[in-house]
Amino acid sequence: MRKYFSTFLMRWKMETQYRGAALGGIICQMVFGLILISIYRALYLGNPQPMPLSAIVTYVWLQQAFFRMLLSSDNDLMDKIRTGGIAYEMCRPVSLYGYYYARIMAMKLMGSLLRAVPMLLFASFLPEGWGIGAPASLPALLLSLMGLVLGLLCMCALENITMGISMRTIDFKGFQALLNLLMTTFSGNILPLTLFPDAWQQVIRLLPYAQLLDAPIRLYTGETPLAQAGQVFLIQGIWLCVFVCLGLYLWHRNTKKMIVQGG
Amino acid sequence: MNTIKLYLHSMKMLLKSQMQYPWSFCLQTIAQIVMEGGEMMAVLLVVNRFQALNQWTGGDLLFFFGIMSITFYLTECFGRGITGNFAALIRSGNLDTFFLRPRGIMTQVLCHAIDPRRIGCIAVGVAALVLGCRQSRVIWTLPKIFLFTEAVFFGMLLILGLFLIEAVFAVHSVKSIELVNAVTYGGRSACQYPVDIYPGPLRVLFGTLAPFGLVLQVPSAVILDKPMMGIDGFLAFLCPLTGLLFFAFMYFVFQKAMKYYRSTGS
Repeated sequence: MRKYFSTFLMRWKMETQYRGAALGGIICQMVFGLILISIYRALYLGNPQPMPLSAIVTYVWLQQAFFRMLLSSDNDLMDKIRTGGIAYEMCRPVSLYGYYYARIMAMKLMGSLLRAVPMLLFASFLPEGWGIGAPASLPALLLSLMGLVLGLLCMCALENITMGISMRTIDFKGFQALLNLLMTTFSGNILPLTLFPDAWQQVIRLLPYAQLLDAPIRLYTGETPLAQAGQVFLIQGIWLCVFVCLGLYLWHRNTKKMIVQGG
Repeated sequence: MNTIKLYLHSMKMLLKSQMQYPWSFCLQTIAQIVMEGGEMMAVLLVVNRFQALNQWTGGDLLFFFGIMSITFYLTECFGRGITGNFAALIRSGNLDTFFLRPRGIMTQVLCHAIDPRRIGCIAVGVAALVLGCRQSRVIWTLPKIFLFTEAVFFGMLLILGLFLIEAVFAVHSVKSIELVNAVTYGGRSACQYPVDIYPGPLRVLFGTLAPFGLVLQVPSAVILDKPMMGIDGFLAFLCPLTGLLFFAFMYFVFQKAMKYYRSTGS
């Protein structure tokens, strides 16, 4: 376990090196957040909805803040798959899956925290109706944090499955674009899941993509009552188990018959 | 004329080289359709839930979405040299070779890339536009068709101009500047919806500074018979020209930046 933890720490330190690069991204993301909020404000002006506007605004800010958690992948690994450098990786005395799981987790966590903290600070100083709202209650905040951790674990496992498939197909651009679309649509990044037709939501909320950010955000805004938190964690846990098992199986199969392309 | 012939010729060659991998091309085009289709679905879902946005009906919103994606992705398709990764040209030192040839730098940059996969996104844009026209019962007349073509053409120049900002920064900093995305991709996202719904600062930004509002949306509003910002008639035909102005200004700045250009030496 220690070696995976130190992999995580190493990657964590690497990620903190690029603070300057993050700044441009943060401002860009803030502008996107403000644009989206203006649209929803204008829409609400004409047709108020049962879901309060403040909850939508909070939803948008949290989605924008943790955007990096959704869409970031290990480019080093992709290069290694393409160039054949993956052969060296197989010499490491660690489980390949665990090693890359720790790496991607550090990347996603640090990449998004670096951006989320200043963004959420900015959003909390904005006036009422523009800025992020307070959590429903203290327990709601704690439970949503726990949901976020579970969501992160799910996301990393999902990412590893994508990588596992990439190892087979070598070229993955088209495929990855499709997966990213599913991710941004059904995780609530393009449009908050709470604004989807009510009938759709019954199904969408059970999909794996909703577990990543949507579930913790709903806990935060209090839309999911505290009593149902256990149920949410259960769904997240089930998906996590499914993804990890599938990923482990896929990577195990891949390492048994790896085809290295030149290199 | 010679330049245009050269451009068309290189487009043909690039297209031919991309078509060497037909399967990969097909898959990536489908991916583009699905991606842009997802964005369109978001608009449809918004219309489904809210019905209208101020004076704009669902059909109008689809029209705005359609004209924006058609313009943006036509630019990405034919102006790939600039909208793609201009910073990489500088970093790799490939731009140096452009200085040795007896043609303008801008011509060569535009000639060196094309992105035909964007046809997928453009198709989705056309679908949204047709759907929007039918729902809003747009009656096409000759002036309206002219206005539409004008808006799209100058809209493309405007978007090229916006991407040139990033290119100019890249000359100075070598790395691409993520911040400029706020006006390029941010502009696309924001102006999928009519600009008059936005609060003051954003309206000024996307209405006049990065004039998507004047170039694309004022003409769209006239076509929909719901003039925006009180601009109608002859004035509406003049508005898209701001796109040309913007491009001309950025072209001038770009040429200046090229004078300053120092090779990275790689």
